[in-house]
Order: sequence, then structure tokens, then C-alpha cells
Amino acid sequence: MAVSNTPFNAATAAYSNASRLINQAAKPTADLTATAPAAGGNFADILAQNVQGVVDQGKVSDQMALDMVSGKANVVDMVTALSETEMAIESMVTLRDKVISAYEEIMRMPI
Amino acid sequence: MDFNSSLRIAATGLHAQTARMRVIAENIANADSAGKAPGDEPYRRRIPTFQANYDAEVGGRVVEIGRLAYDMSDFSSRYEPGHPAADESGFVQYPNVNTLVETVDMRQAQRSYEANLNVVTVTRQMLGRTLDILRG
Repeated sequence: MAVSNTPFNAATAAYSNASRLINQAAKPTADLTATAPAAGGNFADILAQNVQGVVDQGKVSDQMALDMVSGKANVVDMVTALSETEMAIESMVTLRDKVISAYEEIMRMPI
Repeated sequence: MDFNSSLRIAATGLHAQTARMRVIAENIANADSAGKAPGDEPYRRRIPTFQANYDAEVGGRVVEIGRLAYDMSDFSSRYEPGHPAADESGFVQYPNVNTLVETVDMRQAQRSYEANLNVVTVTRQMLGRTLDILRG
């Protein structure tokens, strides 16, 4: 895969920067000024990874909801799991929208 | 991320306060449970204790309900000669539960529960407002 400055790779780099910053924010002692790897990874791979994370959390929540209906789980655990899922989905959707709009803006640039 | 940690820690707080409510409910419901026969001990009041434990999976110090201690204060006695549990002088021992004290404990448990609920709500709001920066 050529690491060139095509608009698609620029969007990929933006997305990988976003995921890297989220991960770094979780560990506040990391060096935030470190530069990102250029065009880090395939866009599809990164999106698939994040979607997989959300899907896994969603499975936990589904199981919780089923347990709740059958009377085994309790309200607090279910609400916590659903809140986490909701937060993960919201973050992913917002990031996806932003990256796609960045990509579209770059594509609109006149040659 | 830290938002999930805050949510899970608040969830343990909610569990702990629910357990505290259960103990209070036991105490209040059994406030009149004298023994069945002379010489039987009546219901003894229980006191919930909490302890902070570090939970590596959640990533913070969570609260857990600890030992349910027995309140070792004296029982009260009332003069009821006809009661099955009355001793020779006609006194029956009643539990050392003061309903007023339990009611105040119940209010405290409710306030603590609401405080933990606030933590959950505010954490979600924080994340929502953070993401709004990208949407605007």
C-alpha cells in the first residue's frame, strides 16, 4: 500500500489520529505531541475494529436485556451496560460522520 | 475509557445502597419480632458496613457491602404476661430496633443512591457535550 498524500490516505490518517488521541486520552501521561504514523492502516480495518468493539459491547447489553426480561439480571447492571453501549455507539457515529465529511471536503477541492 | 470506569464505580455505589436498603427493610419489618418461647432471643438489629476495594478490571476503588454487623445494644422489654415468650415476671423482650433511627437511615440511603445516580447522569452528559463539539 503506497504511503502517498492522496485524499483517501489523508482521511485515513485523520481517522487514525482520532483513535490514537482517544486511546492516549485514556492514559494521561502519554506524550500527546508525538506524531502519528502516516496513513496508519487501512480505513476499512480501523472502522471494522471500532465497530467490532461496539458490537461486542452490544452483545453484552443484549444478554443483559434478555436476563432482565427472564428475571435474572438486575436493573442497575442493565442500565450500566446499556449506557456504555450507547456512549460507544454515539462516539463511533460522531467520529465516522466527521471523518467522512472531512473526506468529502477534500474530494471537493478543485484540481 | 475513564467514562466507563466512572459509570461502573457509580454502579457499585448503587448496588451498595440497594443492599443497605434491604438491611433497613429487614430491621423495620422485624421491629416487633419477639421470640417464640420464653428465653428465645428476639430479632437483633443489623448494621450494614461498607468497604472500599480496589478493582483492577474497573480501574478504581469500588464500594462493596462488608460484614453485616449485629447491633449489640440491649433489648427493650415490655410487660405482656399473656405473650407466648413472656418470662416468669411477665416481661417480653423486644428487638433493639428504633423505627425512627431506621427511617433516618433510609433517608440517607436514598440520598446516597440519588448521588450515585447523579454521577451516572453527569458522566453521560459530559461525554455527550464533548461529542457535540464535533457535531457543531
